[in-house]
Amino acid sequence: MYQIITGPLLWLTFLVFVGGLAWRVYSYIKGLNWKLDRVAYGTQTAYGVRGAVRSIVAWIVPFGSQGWKVKPIFTIMFFVFHIGIVVTPLFLLGHAVILNSRFGINWPTLPMVVADTLTVAMLCAGLFILVRRIALPEVRIITSLYDYTLLLITVAPFFTGFMAVHQLGGDYKFWLYAHILTGELMLLAVPFTKLFHVVGFFLSRGQLGMDYGIKRGGMKGTNMAW
Amino acid sequence: MPEGKFCNRTPVNTQEALEALLADKGGKQYYEEMEQLDVDVPKLAAALKNTCKSRTQTWLDMCAHCGLCADSCFLYLVNNRDPKQVPAYKIQSTLGEMVKMKGDVSNEFMRHAMEVAWSQCTCCNRCGQYCPYGIDMGVMFGYLRGLLYSQGFVPWELKIGAGMHRVFKAQMNVTDEDWTETCDWMAEEAQDEWPGLEIPIDKENADIMYTVNAREPKHYPEDISEAAILFHVAGENWTVPSSGWEQTSLSMFAGDWEACTMQVKHVYAAVERLNPKRCVGTECGHAHRATVIEGPYWAGRPDGLPPRPYMHYVEWLAEALRLGKIKIDPEKRIKQLVTLQDSCNYIRNYGLKDITREIVSYIVEPGYFVEMSPNKEHNFCCGGGGGFNGIGRFRKQRNRALMTKRDQILATGAKLVIAPCHNCWDAIRDLEEEFKIGIKWSFLKPLIVSMMIVPEHLKPQEEE
Repeated sequence: MYQIITGPLLWLTFLVFVGGLAWRVYSYIKGLNWKLDRVAYGTQTAYGVRGAVRSIVAWIVPFGSQGWKVKPIFTIMFFVFHIGIVVTPLFLLGHAVILNSRFGINWPTLPMVVADTLTVAMLCAGLFILVRRIALPEVRIITSLYDYTLLLITVAPFFTGFMAVHQLGGDYKFWLYAHILTGELMLLAVPFTKLFHVVGFFLSRGQLGMDYGIKRGGMKGTNMAW
Repeated sequence: MPEGKFCNRTPVNTQEALEALLADKGGKQYYEEMEQLDVDVPKLAAALKNTCKSRTQTWLDMCAHCGLCADSCFLYLVNNRDPKQVPAYKIQSTLGEMVKMKGDVSNEFMRHAMEVAWSQCTCCNRCGQYCPYGIDMGVMFGYLRGLLYSQGFVPWELKIGAGMHRVFKAQMNVTDEDWTETCDWMAEEAQDEWPGLEIPIDKENADIMYTVNAREPKHYPEDISEAAILFHVAGENWTVPSSGWEQTSLSMFAGDWEACTMQVKHVYAAVERLNPKRCVGTECGHAHRATVIEGPYWAGRPDGLPPRPYMHYVEWLAEALRLGKIKIDPEKRIKQLVTLQDSCNYIRNYGLKDITREIVSYIVEPGYFVEMSPNKEHNFCCGGGGGFNGIGRFRKQRNRALMTKRDQILATGAKLVIAPCHNCWDAIRDLEEEFKIGIKWSFLKPLIVSMMIVPEHLKPQEEE
């Protein structure tokens, strides 16, 4: 069992994840249409790229945009959640050990206490996001079962991973397998669900940035105050 | 009933059809017919397949339902935070549903979508600013309007408006003859006070070709004479085209892209014919949007630019004041609290925020200018944008929407609002009428005319 889920299934997961996202990027860009979108992507590209970068940077930096500034608590939760998701698995000691034993790669790692803090903070932020979905009428009305499912798929590998690492909840093997499988499920879900925003954010924010960078003031030398 | 006499999928292309539709007062029969109008599902499905491409599809698919757009929408805020006014909800429950159903939707759905598209969104594009993904629901509502229009589900006034552009190449029944006569009349009237003033029509190779909003020749001809006076005083070599003078596009509000294209190409043809160095348009937001921002794309220009540099009036005016072509009498500068309305169409969507403030710096005594909050590209819509002002069926909703601007203005304490946009100007006039808060509102032209120093040589000579 362990051999399969950390061997062929893992490789398949990576393949689908990377291939699926590559397809997302390709089909998004291919589907941009200067006439339909009314943005001269092809002829005013330098203005467009400048606008795209400004737009992405404003939103990827905490409190970089007006939208983040007016919602400070949500913004903190949002960044805690996302930094936890991206940083923890990439630099977790347990993951680096596997890389080293299988491929001899020396991968940088986070001290365990940092990884633990990030994980717990991320889980708390996830809970906050869940409660917010239920509590705020303006969020509840647009929330569907799909949104709850995605949240569950996203936090599951972190919760199970934490249980396994700290040998909580009794059966270590169960939590380890659950961690591997939910992790794979999440990675598999990314290209096929709105989790594809791991690339989609850059594409979509970049696109609106190009729109502003080219058509809506950028060519007038005005920087949109995101 | 498949299609009605008035409410149908065919645009208004003749003067007879236009007059008949106008005769149906308030669109009474029109809206009755709409309740029976069938949806042409194959046509709608084909339109979606051909035009709902990656940008729009991604916007619809990727929306995280985070609700951050809610507070960005003045219509959500002004309607007691009604969750049904959350931008994401509004677009997902209309365009989103239509795309999901591949166009297989009912008459009732379409009528509801029409109501949302024209009474719950003014296409101010503010939500796109506040969405982490940059999902611009104003753009999507524009797109939805096009789909609804093509199926005949469009407010009566906007079907007429688009028809006006198709028949008259103007948003109102103003012919080219009416236009040139108005120009001659205005020039003649002004000449007593301004000897040598002209409104040169069809002058080739001028420095400036000036274009207007058809409301000016129709209802506010003094606007044309003020423009002429200011060009005259500034010593500009300018002209107006005898045809292609109308810069607005109610067809843009209606979602009639074919009429938008016809209209803007007509203006560009005048530009090519007269070959001016550059063009200047009047104090109108949507006219600028239609002719300068979106127009190049409708006309199929790959560089996304009009055939000549095309300035908004505020750009020309700021330049004239900056270069001293027009000088303001310091004694006559505004010495009362005054605020400025930022038009979505050329501030948020064209970046002219600093230009209008530069003008303010020349005409308002320091200490008397008060900014609205929020302002510049974060400003709220006047309450009447995107056609909202003109739709009788949604007048109640529009009047409610005006409360946002009312409260913004009240918070400044100013009794004068500078509104260099026809649509904003109307909305502010209407909010004063509705709520009587004791304010005045003005375009820039009359203010400047009353404040400038008139050079000696332009003054009428005393008879000996």
